[in-house]
Amino acid sequence: MGDVLRHAWVIARKDLVLEFRSRTALVSAAVFTALVLTVFNFGRDPTAVATVDLAPSILWVTFTFAAMLALNRAFQLELENQALDGLLVSPISRTSLFWAKFFANWVFVSVVEAIGLPLFVLFFDVPVGGVLLPLVGVIALATAGFVAVGTLFSAMVIRTRFAELMLPVLLLPFLVPPLIGAVQVTAQLLGGRPLSEVTGWLRLLAAFDIVFLTLATLLFPATVNE
Amino acid sequence: MTLAQRGRWVTGTALALLVAVYVRALVFTPVERFQGLAQKIFYLHVPAAWSAMLAMGLVGLASILFLLMKDYRFDRFAAASAEVGTVFALVMLTTGPIWAKPIWGTWWTWDARLTLTLFLFFLFVGYLLLRGAVAEASLRAHYSAVLGICGLVLLPFVHLSVYLFRTLHPQPVVLKPSAPSLPGSMLATLLFSFGVFTLLYVGFVMQRYALALAREARGDG
Amino acid sequence: MADGPSNGGYMVAAYIVAAAIVVGYALLLSVRTRKL
Repeated sequence: MGDVLRHAWVIARKDLVLEFRSRTALVSAAVFTALVLTVFNFGRDPTAVATVDLAPSILWVTFTFAAMLALNRAFQLELENQALDGLLVSPISRTSLFWAKFFANWVFVSVVEAIGLPLFVLFFDVPVGGVLLPLVGVIALATAGFVAVGTLFSAMVIRTRFAELMLPVLLLPFLVPPLIGAVQVTAQLLGGRPLSEVTGWLRLLAAFDIVFLTLATLLFPATVNE
Repeated sequence: MTLAQRGRWVTGTALALLVAVYVRALVFTPVERFQGLAQKIFYLHVPAAWSAMLAMGLVGLASILFLLMKDYRFDRFAAASAEVGTVFALVMLTTGPIWAKPIWGTWWTWDARLTLTLFLFFLFVGYLLLRGAVAEASLRAHYSAVLGICGLVLLPFVHLSVYLFRTLHPQPVVLKPSAPSLPGSMLATLLFSFGVFTLLYVGFVMQRYALALAREARGDG
Repeated sequence: MADGPSNGGYMVAAYIVAAAIVVGYALLLSVRTRKL
């Protein structure tokens, strides 16, 4: 077990160093997030609906698209240099590889979200003051769910035709349950209501994460073995 | 008889029996008092749902068995079941709104059943698209199996989410849907229809499986 | 005959659409497996 985590960390760190050194992917994802938020602003009539009613949906739709974009490049690096084969031939277990990818993706998406959240607060004048910590918690929880399934699917999609189109088509149905939960809890938090009322949703999010992380860990070898 | 021929026989029989279902449902089953004639859509929609769910469940099961045993017969079966499932999901997606309009007052409602139907459809279509996008047989079989299993696991989560959502945001009803306990005659029609739709599933899958086998032999499977 | 609301049109539409899909697919399959 210790080996698995250690190996995973080594690969994850390599990925993250590469990502953050070049910064192109990160900046593109961040700019995309800002643009989506901007589009949402002009896509609504502020006099008809109160911002705070729409805010949770806007936040989460934006995060969903940003996560998808981020996941699209998840295995791109390996594919470009046939480095994936090198990784597979090495003594590192498939499980380590999955956890490495999952962790690197999760960090990447989280960083994009960390840039997006303040922009969201700014653009839509949303009161997050007292609820920042629980909000971050929900974001982390839902993101874990997105990234678990996303990592698994992006491993498959790179070897298909129309990979960029395939990923959203396959992945979006799987993002909906965590999305629903995240929106409900976010709405609860932004409305200043106690979290105790949404324990059902929080449990759903947690259950989704646990189930799909386990499933993805189990199934990942099937996507890279020959 | 070859598999395809037997499949044709089974399908033919099922279609003949479907005519019987139609006659029984339309003519010989009493009309529901509150919902009127539109309630009879129930006798097609619900069995189609059963067939679609059966198809999905078997795709999932076959996927697991394929990954465990690497037997390509399971992969072929999963592909057949997915395509047939799509057909039944399509029946659900069309009859559902046609039923919803007179009963709920709107063509679409994000209630548990219709939402699950939509997701089922997305999963089936995604599965078929994935298969179409991977040329190499081994890769295709493995990827499909992964998607098949994930799809099956997703369904309870979709159901739970919608259920939780609905208890928070209950929907106004124009006409109250029928109570779970059906009078004898209606139940008999429903069960008959269940049987016929199951038989249709079997016949379709037999033919589709035979088709897959033939395509592989030709070299473009 | 109908005690309830007169929505028979919907019933007819649904029954026709369902039959079209099922029969359509059956035909498609039988054509594709014709020589098998």
